[in-house]
Amino acid sequence: MKRLIGIGNPDRGDDGVGWEVASRVRSWHTMTVTAGSFDLIDDWDADDEVVIVDAMRSGRATGATLRIDARANEVPTSAFASTHTFGPAEVVALAKAMGRLPRTLEVIGIEAGTVVHGSTMSSEVAAAATELVKELEHA
Amino acid sequence: MSRETREISVDYLARVEGEGALFLSLDGDVVKDLQFKIFEPPRFYEAFLRGRRHSEAPDITARICGICPVAYQTSSINAMEYAAGVTVDPRIRDLRRLLYFGEWIESHTLHVYMLHAPDFLGYPSAIEMAADMPEVVTNALRLKRLGNQIMTIVGGREIHPINVKVGGFYRAPTAAELEPLAGELRWAIETAADTVSLVAGFEFPNFSMDYEFVALRHPDEYAIVDGRIISSRGLDIDVSEWSEHFEESHVERSNALHVRLKERGRFHVGPMARYALNADLLTPRARDAADSVGLHPGESNPFRSIIVRAVEIVLACEEALEIIEHYQAPDPASVSVEPRSATGFGASEAPRGLLYHRYDIDDDGMIADAQIVPPTAQNQAQIEEDLRKFAPWHSHLEDDVLQWHLEQAIRNYDPCISCATHFLDLTVERTGAR
Repeated sequence: MKRLIGIGNPDRGDDGVGWEVASRVRSWHTMTVTAGSFDLIDDWDADDEVVIVDAMRSGRATGATLRIDARANEVPTSAFASTHTFGPAEVVALAKAMGRLPRTLEVIGIEAGTVVHGSTMSSEVAAAATELVKELEHA
Repeated sequence: MSRETREISVDYLARVEGEGALFLSLDGDVVKDLQFKIFEPPRFYEAFLRGRRHSEAPDITARICGICPVAYQTSSINAMEYAAGVTVDPRIRDLRRLLYFGEWIESHTLHVYMLHAPDFLGYPSAIEMAADMPEVVTNALRLKRLGNQIMTIVGGREIHPINVKVGGFYRAPTAAELEPLAGELRWAIETAADTVSLVAGFEFPNFSMDYEFVALRHPDEYAIVDGRIISSRGLDIDVSEWSEHFEESHVERSNALHVRLKERGRFHVGPMARYALNADLLTPRARDAADSVGLHPGESNPFRSIIVRAVEIVLACEEALEIIEHYQAPDPASVSVEPRSATGFGASEAPRGLLYHRYDIDDDGMIADAQIVPPTAQNQAQIEEDLRKFAPWHSHLEDDVLQWHLEQAIRNYDPCISCATHFLDLTVERTGAR
């Protein structure tokens, strides 16, 4: 199964990009969560193709998209810092440690501009979301 | 050994919920200064509750915490029902207990396995622990998921439940909806009992404190949703008498108010306090598990709190199973609560300890004033005292090792800084010989 997990807070501007993508992709089984959690590794099966979409702060330009093959590469903790204890980097690391990775696992980060409570999504991040939705629908 | 100045500063404490810091100044093995700092910004919940309807408090206060929202909902509901002079059907109360046990299972499992166990096993985090002990972490995830399932079925969703209201529930789950949880709870009771044995085998520092424990007490149950406030030094009061015996004060280093007993100062709330004051009311399997590892009600080594939490997971699973096996859906699912001009007081036992709420309600049913006193705020002074006593024991250690032990001592309390500010960062400053 193709599973898309959107992480973020839709009430904090660009931090909601994971939710935005998950709400618009039709050809994937989607779910949304407000924060990374260890529980997420129970949400995929060994045969699944999994994509995690989250806002990131990596120093790139707002709206820049970073796609990481998480099976082959380490997910940088610093880029996906969370106000909670765990982000996607920790979830992926736990899954690797426990031998619970799905068949494919891609972490997609979209560089956030504003994440102020109550703000709207920036045009750069909205455009990146639209582009990503197109790519995922044709994947 | 040469004298030296030591200053250890932890700017951001790990594996606690929220943003806090620790500063320690040591002169040899003498603590010159120690500050448990809460720098997470104040969140002003009491202020924006003013002017809202009494019925909105459970949904607003639930947002204080993503780990213990049921605690906030329950304490606020207790206060509103107290103000209105309403008592709910015992079946509604049982459903509240079931929801709350779901939260205890989820929260305690997260702390015991993922946040605290790595300290004792020498792992920097649960991720490294998982590589060596995958079966333990798999069980932990399954237990946590069970807690989440209870929250979802009873509360409508696993975080910030939406099915809870003043007077009861918007909709009571059917027996058929709850029944599938029974088998998983039977597995969970045995797994949690095994966890008690596992964590009791950890190596604990030989360290104890002379605590005044404060917790709720109910005549027939290990208190969770309501009860009288009692202490190990003779306090025994109705929740409405809280302000006569406790006081809040602001200290510069913390954005969370400190709380003291007016007569005796600092005190300790949480699992160890509950266990000290309610061990005679443990459920049978929890009692057996505690007895099997020699956990006594007078336990005063804060590092052994991990065993108490594991015992409370057993209890929570047993109680949840008992409720489900005898469940009859309350009909109606809620009682009408007509507000009146009054002050309401409510308390319940959040996973981290006593959570007290007070609200003044006006003639129109609007909240005129609110006071919320979370467990981590109450424990701040005691956490600092634990560290003040513990640091000299380890003053011979290098800064990084000392820091690790001090952070572990803080995690004994499973502090929820986000709640307390409705907060960690360690600075150790050393002078003199080590």
